Amino acid sequence: MSSMTSRRDAAPLSAFDIDRRAALKLLASGMALSLASCGKPPEEIVPYVDQPERVVPGIPLKFATTLDMAGYGRGVIVTSVEGRPIKVEGNPRHSASLGATDVFAEASVLSLYDPDRSKAPRGPKGIASWDAFGDALRTQMEKEKKRQGAGLRLVSGRMTSPTLLRQINALLKAFPQARWYRYEPISDDNEREGAVMAFGRPLTTLPRIGEASVALSLDDDFLGAGPRQIANGRAFISARRAENDPDRFLRLYAAEPALSLTGANADHWLAIRPELIRNLAIAISAILRGEKPNAPLPPAAQRFATVAAADLKSKTGKAIVTAGRTQPPDVHALCHTINGMLHAPIDYIEPVDPAGKHGEALHAFADDLSNNRVETLLILDRNPVYDAPHELGFNGLFPKLPFSAHLGLYDDETAAICHWHLPLSHTLESWSDLRAHDGTASIVQPLIRPLYDTRTAHQVIALISGALSPSSYDLVRETWQPQAGGDFESWWRQVLHDGVIAETRHVAVSAQPKAVDIKPAPNPTEAVLVLAPDPSIWDGRDANNAWLQECPKPLSKETWGNTLSISPRDAQQLGCQTGDVVALTRKNAKVEAVVRVDANQADSVYATTLGHGRRKAGAIGNGIGFDVYPLRAIDEPWLIGGVTIAKTGKSRDIPTTQGQFRLEGETTEFLPRVSLAALAAGLKGPPFAEEPKPTLYPPVHNDDPYAWAMVIDTAACIGCNACVIACQAENNVPVVGPDQILRSRVMHWLRVDTYTDANGGIQGFQPVPCMHCEHAPCEPVCPVAASVHDREGLNVQVYNRCIGTRFCQSNCPYKVRRFNWFGYADDEEYANLGEPPIKAQHNPDVTVRARGVMEKCTYCVQRISRARREAEKENRTIKDGEVVTACQAACPTRAISFGNLKDTGAHVNALRQHKQHYELLGHLGTRPRTTYLARLTNPNPDFDEAKS
Amino acid sequence: MPQIFRPSADSIARVLLVSILVGPFVLIGIGYAVTQSPYITGQNITMKQPVPFSHAHHAGDLAIDCRYCHAGVEKSAFAGLPPTTTCMTCHSQLYTNEPMLAPVRQSLAERRPIHWQRVHRLPDYVYFDHSIHIAKGIGCTTCHGPVQTMPLMRQHETLTMGWCLSCHRDPTPYLRPENQVFNSDWKPAADQLKQGKKLLAHYLIDTKHLTDCSTCHR
Repeated sequence: MSSMTSRRDAAPLSAFDIDRRAALKLLASGMALSLASCGKPPEEIVPYVDQPERVVPGIPLKFATTLDMAGYGRGVIVTSVEGRPIKVEGNPRHSASLGATDVFAEASVLSLYDPDRSKAPRGPKGIASWDAFGDALRTQMEKEKKRQGAGLRLVSGRMTSPTLLRQINALLKAFPQARWYRYEPISDDNEREGAVMAFGRPLTTLPRIGEASVALSLDDDFLGAGPRQIANGRAFISARRAENDPDRFLRLYAAEPALSLTGANADHWLAIRPELIRNLAIAISAILRGEKPNAPLPPAAQRFATVAAADLKSKTGKAIVTAGRTQPPDVHALCHTINGMLHAPIDYIEPVDPAGKHGEALHAFADDLSNNRVETLLILDRNPVYDAPHELGFNGLFPKLPFSAHLGLYDDETAAICHWHLPLSHTLESWSDLRAHDGTASIVQPLIRPLYDTRTAHQVIALISGALSPSSYDLVRETWQPQAGGDFESWWRQVLHDGVIAETRHVAVSAQPKAVDIKPAPNPTEAVLVLAPDPSIWDGRDANNAWLQECPKPLSKETWGNTLSISPRDAQQLGCQTGDVVALTRKNAKVEAVVRVDANQADSVYATTLGHGRRKAGAIGNGIGFDVYPLRAIDEPWLIGGVTIAKTGKSRDIPTTQGQFRLEGETTEFLPRVSLAALAAGLKGPPFAEEPKPTLYPPVHNDDPYAWAMVIDTAACIGCNACVIACQAENNVPVVGPDQILRSRVMHWLRVDTYTDANGGIQGFQPVPCMHCEHAPCEPVCPVAASVHDREGLNVQVYNRCIGTRFCQSNCPYKVRRFNWFGYADDEEYANLGEPPIKAQHNPDVTVRARGVMEKCTYCVQRISRARREAEKENRTIKDGEVVTACQAACPTRAISFGNLKDTGAHVNALRQHKQHYELLGHLGTRPRTTYLARLTNPNPDFDEAKS
Repeated sequence: MPQIFRPSADSIARVLLVSILVGPFVLIGIGYAVTQSPYITGQNITMKQPVPFSHAHHAGDLAIDCRYCHAGVEKSAFAGLPPTTTCMTCHSQLYTNEPMLAPVRQSLAERRPIHWQRVHRLPDYVYFDHSIHIAKGIGCTTCHGPVQTMPLMRQHETLTMGWCLSCHRDPTPYLRPENQVFNSDWKPAADQLKQGKKLLAHYLIDTKHLTDCSTCHR
């Protein structure tokens, strides 16, 4: 960043002390150079020596593979251009993808080409080779063999790969004294222990949200980022379709200490202290049993409990209660009991990540370390020095080990204090296998040969077991050979093609929850810090991904870092406002955090996200945000008490992409919310469809067979941002960096606006791409006709004509045009994004825009063009559904529809006749081609103070 | 008091007056000529290639079909250059010791691709697709010129945007019947304009979209 800032903020010319003669000399040499450089630099064509079958240069290939999200697999289909993977899309056959993606899947291609990735092993004496590591390892393993592995410790994250599990189990058999610890900073320990309390075994709960009519989330952010987001989002919205019988339309209640995506999508939301959620659950279970609730609760929560419980009871068999990871095990157990009472549509499955609590594992590992029981330590792609609670003191214990090796993508905090750092192959470079959250297994197949001298975890485990040159491919095939039956080769080909192994989903088991005895909590007195995974970078592992860092957080729209959100009352008491820096202190740990005042928050609750403040993430992630892991305790990973907060007097600007100013009444006009009842009564008045007003504009003549249009269903948008990153990946949208965002310069072609009511309550999400107005205000103001319409109704931006007057941007009422103030993608990239590997990610079908050029959403014109050419070669027109825009393909809830208005059978035509249909700023007469369906809510009429 | 202007000043004034009127046009004309000149367009310039491949020999004398080497031309945007193995289908038998072909043999032996110099080059913001032109009856030699007569490959046309548009506005003079697309010796028929109209209908070409910016620029 520093180099870029210095270039941009260069001192004015006068500071250079140039006299007239020198200036003329420079002018002359400049002219001479510019004349001399007129000719195009030569370009080469380099054909193959032996062209592989199937490869036709210029035609992209697609392969099914699996990406890893916190240990769980998600099936994807990756587009490869001349051997370079450039775009990830969902695999419809895979239960954790359902054809859609999330931000993490979309951004994984950027991680693959990250210039900061480790490229070679590093030994105790600097850069080393794998052979050198092999020698060192062999010596060490000789010793371990003698003591049956008593000093051997393996640390990994969540492990669902059948092959890796097979390998590690074999290793542990060979070294019976060795230990293997699994640790994820974002674990489901509470959920597991709750299941043990209720069922006697650690069953995993898979709610069938799609079948529910009422759901209550007790601080369970099931729509938020995570391995289940796509599946949950799809199910949630499928239960909330206007076509549904109003009685079947899912109503969601959420009780949370701080607003989450789930809360933002709920019909009724309650801000409540996290400790009191237990009392809420007790009260609900009492009401369901027909008893009088007696757990202490504030009046609002009592009312919430009464109404929600009555609603849940009335929909027995179609009602679900879920509890989140912040809640202690007995609340989870109580939820199971309640769900038992409600005959809730839930599948219980045996856990996919085999038994064991991650917190306990970490404890045991720390215990081993401090008692000097560890001689040989191998860390598989985890970073405990950064993300384990600092009270364990790993920082001091690691350097004392006789032999430690860290396998990972980056030379990170943990790698820095290990003897060996081994570069790991990216998932897109590896053979492996993974299971999804529901047990569905699929193969990870490489899209590209490892870019650097890297190995997979399979190879490293095999090295430890004594293999000389192990191949991941053979290891994975060995695992599945017995499962395939007779003809393995054709089974294998089918599995690779489908991207999913049939019938591997874990079968639901029948389980009857026991009644649990749970005591209400007293009214808490002291403030509590609530932690959550970051919606962009999860637990910090994706901190060096610039797309994710710049992806606006769904609710606060902040980018590049995290903030500490506090309620307005607490802010007033503290005397601080948004942007002030406060010091959080707990025991010996102190963290300086930037405050963001948020109305959607319980009082005496401080909330923030994990994963920031990395020290050795790389050029993108270093020093972004603040690190709250030091405040975390092994026994209280999510709700942290005993935290004191104090002002520091410092303040900092928060780079946000929305919310710099507001218009009164904007929400009702721009993002109308209608209740099911109002929809049934019929929607009248603006912004809903009226008779077209008289206009002086000439009618739009268009005898082309196509008129492209998009309809976005805001009722289905859960605000996950997958479309934003999908657009960025597809369209070579550059990253601008935090300094530019602070100047309100953002490049995302598609943004997701959030709207709030007068009290700051989130009213919903509205993805805003270019409207492709039929009477586009940007067009008449362009002096060089760089903004023009094509015959298919696309408002196109001709980059090679654009001279950068920005008139179009000023005249665009939707503010969707983006200007390259600097060469964000053209020689003035943020941080290390200009380095050669990054260029390999670029989509060759889309121009990389230069400095001084305006750009905006094109409706993925490259995809339309490809479809048109294919159709024209076959002498037919493009069929409905043949062109899928990048945002549409990514959307987990299928909120975005795209198609041809000239095709009477097209889905967009049906949607444009929909009752909820409206145009954004339609009264301006722009006749936008992108239109919306109004947000739909299902409030409970029994609620007086419904969250409006 | 002497005269300020000599008689010759009249002539100077006349020349100046004329050049004020004519000069801008001349300058514009020169500028246009420069942009259309081979210096800018690269027209008719032959480049030094690692192997002096002769289209005249292969496509002309031997009449090898264009698609034998440019195999992607019907499917892909990029016509494709032959992999070394394609050259070696013949040259493992013919001219096996020819010094001219040493780079080809070396490429196969060392598994290193041959680095050809690109002859027909469009700016990065132009997205040309060979396959659609082939499918719609535009023959190879229409844009690439009589390659069957070229001992060394050169760019026969200017490849300027105006040149592209001249055909995109009205392709009738250039359209060929389906079986003539790869015929290097095709000549327009005497009633080409009439034939072209028929072919326009046959290929279902909608010329209105052909001049949209988004057709070539993305």
